[in-house]
Amino acid sequence: MAALSEEVLLVLKKVRQRKQDGTLYLMAERIAWSPEGKDRFTVSHLYADIRCQKISPDGKAKIQLQLVLHTGESTTFHFSNESTALKDRDAAKELLQQLLPKFKKKANKELEEKNRMLQEDPVLFQLYKDLVVSQVISADEFWANRLGDISNADPALYNNNNKQEVGISGAFLADIRPQTDGCNGLRYNLTADIIESIFRTYPAVKQKYSENVPHNLTEKEFWTHFFQSHYFHRDRINTGTQDIFSECAKQDEKGLKSMVVQGVKNPLVDLLSLEDKTLDEGYGVRTAPPSTSNANRTVKESSNAAIIKRFNHHSAMVLAAGSRKGETPTDQASETSSTDGNSKDSDFFQPPVKKVKLQEAIEYEDLQRENRIKTVALNLKKSDRYAHGPVPLQSQHYTTSQDIINSVNYIQHEMVNYKPNLTQVLSSTAASSAIAALSPGGILMQTGAQQAINQMIPTEVQGELKHLYAAAGELLRHFWSCFPVNTPFLEEKVIKMKSNLERFQMTKLCPFKEKIQRQYLSTNLTGHLEEMFQTAYSKFHIWQTRRMMRKT
Amino acid sequence: MAAEDEISLLVIVVDVNPIWWGQQAQREPEFTLSKCLDAVMVLGNSHTAMTRTNKLAVIASHCQDSHFLYPSKNWRGGDNVGDDACSSGDGKYELLSVANNLIAEEIRNVMSKTEVRGNSTDTLLAGSLAKALCYINRVSKELEVGQDLKSRILVIKAAEDCALQYMNFMNVIFAAQKQNILIDACVLDSDSGLLQQACDITGGLYLKIPHKLALAQYLLWVFLPDSEQRSQLVLPPPAHVDYRAACFCHRNLIEIGYVCSVCLSIFCNFSPICTTCETAFKIQLPQMVKPKKKKLKQAT
Repeated sequence: MAALSEEVLLVLKKVRQRKQDGTLYLMAERIAWSPEGKDRFTVSHLYADIRCQKISPDGKAKIQLQLVLHTGESTTFHFSNESTALKDRDAAKELLQQLLPKFKKKANKELEEKNRMLQEDPVLFQLYKDLVVSQVISADEFWANRLGDISNADPALYNNNNKQEVGISGAFLADIRPQTDGCNGLRYNLTADIIESIFRTYPAVKQKYSENVPHNLTEKEFWTHFFQSHYFHRDRINTGTQDIFSECAKQDEKGLKSMVVQGVKNPLVDLLSLEDKTLDEGYGVRTAPPSTSNANRTVKESSNAAIIKRFNHHSAMVLAAGSRKGETPTDQASETSSTDGNSKDSDFFQPPVKKVKLQEAIEYEDLQRENRIKTVALNLKKSDRYAHGPVPLQSQHYTTSQDIINSVNYIQHEMVNYKPNLTQVLSSTAASSAIAALSPGGILMQTGAQQAINQMIPTEVQGELKHLYAAAGELLRHFWSCFPVNTPFLEEKVIKMKSNLERFQMTKLCPFKEKIQRQYLSTNLTGHLEEMFQTAYSKFHIWQTRRMMRKT
Repeated sequence: MAAEDEISLLVIVVDVNPIWWGQQAQREPEFTLSKCLDAVMVLGNSHTAMTRTNKLAVIASHCQDSHFLYPSKNWRGGDNVGDDACSSGDGKYELLSVANNLIAEEIRNVMSKTEVRGNSTDTLLAGSLAKALCYINRVSKELEVGQDLKSRILVIKAAEDCALQYMNFMNVIFAAQKQNILIDACVLDSDSGLLQQACDITGGLYLKIPHKLALAQYLLWVFLPDSEQRSQLVLPPPAHVDYRAACFCHRNLIEIGYVCSVCLSIFCNFSPICTTCETAFKIQLPQMVKPKKKKLKQAT
């Protein structure tokens, strides 16, 4: 039955499920249904498990709501209350619409993350297959260490690390591309992307949207008004306050004026010198300068000025929206918010920006003097050590000077009459003994009998051995990281890891060993692995005996 | 006439340390320097006889200097053709007989000029190897267009290693490696770590001979084929080389040690000041864990 602490958000009577009457309960974290008369839930789904909901179309006689789970199963609820069925169903649908997104993100994100990690790293994938799929350790243990870093990190940071923010296309309004639909009407195609762009660029419109929808207008009506209003069109003549968007227009004007007043921070850019200075009529001889006040302007001039003003404003808003990171409303104090006309305290940051810009213009990085790392000067005191180098001391034969003189005399005496006697160089016995020593199996050929192991073992066996090593290494790493055992959690983990190791040895190592023994030469491929396991077991044994001794 | 494309040059460096050979002659009169030189000559003749384009050089490595036995400065290509002393009556390929005669003559000169000096009793092997490398370099510069030179050095070592030549030796070895010159070693008496390293680094063969009397057989079997032919033959496998360095303080061989990052000298123990270059080092000691005091329960 429901836990006592669960908050029930909505109760709907007369909801049928599988041709049984009952009541539908929507709680804070799950949705549940109990049959009529019973007090226990037969159907209960956590919002996190629900992938999406579906409703039957409006025209149908049966008013139904279907929940599709991540696993693929679906549950259908039939609202059978004669009078309020549609309202009930819609109420349930709205509530679910609000609740599902909250839970959806968490579950999906983790699963997505795991999948991504497995796909990106083939070694990890192989490890996963070896350890989890063959049930040596459970999936939770496997992900315990790896996901720990991800879930602890700030999600905003994490998102920023992996993804880049997508900017706004400057032409998003033009992309709407109105089409005529036959009889004097226009069809505007609005996609979610365009809506998002509009909201990011014009926060005033977003505000209007949140105020009016869904209370006063539906989405469709809102957008229809938007496109009909003069706010959207070229000629922005403010025609009274009937339009909900006339306020937006006034705000935009204000924003534009404040932007112009702020000017550009870069001291090297002088926008005022870019004024249009035409020679005008009379080739510059004209005495009265053309006035720029609004009163003297022709209609055409003023509409042109209005369009240019709107273009400038639009571009500025797009740039501002692009540099405004992550829509955080508290982000008022950053430098970048000074580029749109809507922030307040941007003057505070003026001096540093100017200085930076000036410095950038003056200095070139590659022309600077190189900052070499300070090195220590070499100052050898005992350089004679290098003369003999890292060669061990060998006992020298001690020859007396008399020996030397004798030897030299002897050899000189011998070589005075040296004549090469090339027919008596080698006796046959000596030659044959030398040949015997050099033939395979002879004294000098002993060490060559060993062939390289990787030439004797086929590649599949080598590959399997590598996988075994990777998996064993992972388990052993978990095992050894438990020491020193300080907390009860580590104690449990140590015991669990030891049983995992034993299981691994039995299920993976021994069959492999038997296989190679059956098929191939008796090379000891698994000796080292077994040694590692043995060390782990003995360490565990020592720890266990010490623990027993401490307890008694 | 088109020149042959591949020239194979063999340089034989013979250790003729008079003190060692004098003692050897007293120890084992059957195998003396004469016998050794005979065997070397056999190898040289065989090498020259194998292909017309094969070249030979022989260097004698003495305690005083290194001397080219062949080709000698005194030899002028065809000048001594009619000389009676040079021609042998057995119809031998003339190049071989000339070579043998030259070698014999030169070694007699070298040994007769031996002076007795107490302080230098070591063979100047590093110097001889350097001379060999220079000779090979000179020959490679004198090649005609389209000719290729493949060269190798064979060292026949008698006396022990001299530790003072370590630096020069290593320089020679790396220079040979860069030039793709093989260094083979045929060791008569005691194993030489330096030559083992040389053979390992340059890709040559190292062999310590059990019976000196059969030197010629070993030379012909193992050291006559060049590197291409060696891959087709079953030859003694390479020995395991001990590359462990010796520490500078005790000259013991160590596997793990401390190296000064300034002067690269190797020590077996950590000391805060390197004794070679006097640089000071700091090392982090492991954290001291304070023992926790247990609270004693007061007896009531």
